[in-house]
Amino acid sequence: MQQQTVKRASFLRRGLGRLWDVKEIGIIVPTLVYGVIVQLINPVFFTPLNLANLLRQTGFVLIPALGMTFVLIAAGIDLSVGSVMGLGGVVAGFCMVNFGLPIWISILVTLVFGLLIGFVNGAFITRFNIPPMIMTLGMMYIARGAVFVATKGLPIYPIPKAFQAIEQGTFLSMPTIISICLVLCVLFHIVLTRTTFGRSVYAIGGNSEAAKLSGISTRRVTVRVYAICGLMAAMAGVLMSARLGSAQPSAGEGYEMNVIAACIIGGTSTFGGRGTVLGTAIGALFMSVLSNSMTLMKVDVYYQKLVIGAVLIAAVILDQYKREMDKKRIK
Amino acid sequence: MNETILTTKSIVKHFAGVTALNDVSVDLRHGEILSICGENGAGKSTLMKILAGDHPHGSYEGEILIDGQKQRFVNTAAAKHAGIAMIYQEISVELDLSVAENILLGILPLNRAGLVDWKQARMAATEALARLKLTLDVNILARNLSASVQQLVCIARALVRNPKILILDEPTAALTEAETENLMQVILKLREGGISCIYISHKLDEVFRISDRLVTMRDGKVVATYERAAIRADRVIEDMIGRKLEAMYPDMSGRALQDEVLRIEHFCVQHPSSAVKHIIEDISFSLRKGEVLGLAGLVGSGRSELLRAVFGALPKLGGRVFIDGREVHITSPASAIRHGLGLLTEERKKDGIISTMNIGENMTLSIFGKISRHGLFDRKLEAAAVSRYFKSLAIKAPSHRTAVTSLSGGNQQKVVLAKSLMTDMKVLFLDEPTRGIDVGAKSEIYKIIKELADGGLSIVMISSEYPELLAMCDRFVVIGNGRIVGEMAKAEATESRLIKLASMVE
Repeated sequence: MQQQTVKRASFLRRGLGRLWDVKEIGIIVPTLVYGVIVQLINPVFFTPLNLANLLRQTGFVLIPALGMTFVLIAAGIDLSVGSVMGLGGVVAGFCMVNFGLPIWISILVTLVFGLLIGFVNGAFITRFNIPPMIMTLGMMYIARGAVFVATKGLPIYPIPKAFQAIEQGTFLSMPTIISICLVLCVLFHIVLTRTTFGRSVYAIGGNSEAAKLSGISTRRVTVRVYAICGLMAAMAGVLMSARLGSAQPSAGEGYEMNVIAACIIGGTSTFGGRGTVLGTAIGALFMSVLSNSMTLMKVDVYYQKLVIGAVLIAAVILDQYKREMDKKRIK
Repeated sequence: MNETILTTKSIVKHFAGVTALNDVSVDLRHGEILSICGENGAGKSTLMKILAGDHPHGSYEGEILIDGQKQRFVNTAAAKHAGIAMIYQEISVELDLSVAENILLGILPLNRAGLVDWKQARMAATEALARLKLTLDVNILARNLSASVQQLVCIARALVRNPKILILDEPTAALTEAETENLMQVILKLREGGISCIYISHKLDEVFRISDRLVTMRDGKVVATYERAAIRADRVIEDMIGRKLEAMYPDMSGRALQDEVLRIEHFCVQHPSSAVKHIIEDISFSLRKGEVLGLAGLVGSGRSELLRAVFGALPKLGGRVFIDGREVHITSPASAIRHGLGLLTEERKKDGIISTMNIGENMTLSIFGKISRHGLFDRKLEAAAVSRYFKSLAIKAPSHRTAVTSLSGGNQQKVVLAKSLMTDMKVLFLDEPTRGIDVGAKSEIYKIIKELADGGLSIVMISSEYPELLAMCDRFVVIGNGRIVGEMAKAEATESRLIKLASMVE
């Protein structure tokens, strides 16, 4: 039985050649293959308008997912990102509409809010040894509750036209959100792979005891990682309210699951120590491709949820399989 | 009655690219204790895994016969059913279950209603422990037991199924002298009761003591089989490493001791599993530059906790640290490293090695500041540091980008050592530096320790292997009951004297 699986893997490996060694191959290939299939079924898929929509959708998941990638690599988790997204939009809305602050100041205040919430998450997790899932779950309720209290459940609008224009416009001949994503991806990739901070994140996720004994300040790095995640969530919230033209108190509800799924599909392990920016980007892209394609193929909305769940599980299984094969190769 | 109960015939096992077992044929006679000796990588673990059903029938060539019947194990349950019980090197208790639940894992007795009969279970568990001459409250959670007692619970768990064949893989790795002695007695008694044992251990003195026969393996092949009377240490070691072993331990003489480099005063450390007890009550000692100090004591005497507390890895209830005569305040491992301390921990898998990283990344964990500018790694500096120690410690691996998990225990230990060596160290704490490392690699590590000491590094060493401790250290401090119960210089130190002092505690 084991000899059979080894043979199968060798066939795949020979077929893909050196590509097999690319960490993210497990997700890139299915995405491409699936994209081709969809295009054959409904040629609208690969049109500029559809692609632009698809990429925008990706952006809203990818931005918080970049922050989440850091958290997952550090063997943590942040369930509050959806609520912080909503909070982000609402804070920006308040600043611009109720306080009449300039756009850039409003954005800055919002980002600081996101940073602070993330900081609180990280601080409580490290100081009181609260399991991350529980702390951020609590924060998820608190942030969402605060948003509804502040807005009394009503959306904030109208968002100033100038603000909307930023999001709906283009930058470097791409929709703004996509260029923001590209810049962030490059930045996060550099931080993860080339900086001491990034290495510390991988270390803490791989073995936090060993990291601590090696002189890495696990407390400081953990707090920063959650702060970054909060920041990214707030940023996505701001962009989302700009897109919608109003700050909805319910914005981002349930989004944390999409964000986490994108990271996991992209190869980031919830056990910590593994994950890449490219993987997360592809994971987010894959999820948008999936839901976009299902809409194009007129699949019932309820079925879409089933499919995404199944895909998530399949992605993890595939990744585990690949890891097992790699391990056998080394021994 | 010397009929064969278990035979492996011409076992061949390949892993992608590597032949782990090459035509291995071994016999186990009824009621005997057969030891298998070999370095890591010799194939013993692979062979045991095949016998235990971990590598199922079909994944290897050759045959397994029990009482003359061919066996085809599809999984470990099948092997258990055939009467093979395996005690693994890694303690595998369920931490959050009680001792009784662990011992009767999978075979909890049921009453007529189909629910667990706890009274019966407790009795059965207590009885199983009694066979090991162990009395324990079977309701305690396994998590609260020491490693050595957990190991004994694993053995009780195996015995409860009345196996025909018991395979023990490094069973005494985490046991004290007394516990090891106890286990030896138990195994001998089991043999009298008709159980046949395969015993694997690096501790050759144990092996020589209880084996009826001994098989040596190297590079996937059986080298030789010895009857008890014919067992000789040098022949066995020679078989294992393929060359004559000149001297296991290096000559540690010829160092000039200089001024005091480290002094700790009145250290007091909390017991890890009890809020009221102190595992270290009041300990002070000093260390001179170039000296190798040995900390002797029973397993559980707090030596590791003491060094960890000095290193800032465990909180201390009291104590002062002086380096080069000046008091320093060590609040964390990071500050300890800054002050020139280094620590090699007892269990590298637990807190020494990051398994998701490669060799180079593991090595440079403590020197980020030295190989980066403004937070960004300087690749040239990093590569230079890594290749320097990769070469000087002779780490056997294809490259520094190799995953650290693919290394043998000895090479992994070198990686952890390199991590400390890269920092500007004055004092190195070694906690069981050769645990889980085979004979050949051990002597390499000893040579490295000697070179470090000759170079002026001061070392504090904890070891439960007295020959190792006696050979490597200049001076000994014996710890018991949280205090120093004795001190002696190399000249007057013997294994029995140290053990006597260490054991003279309640």
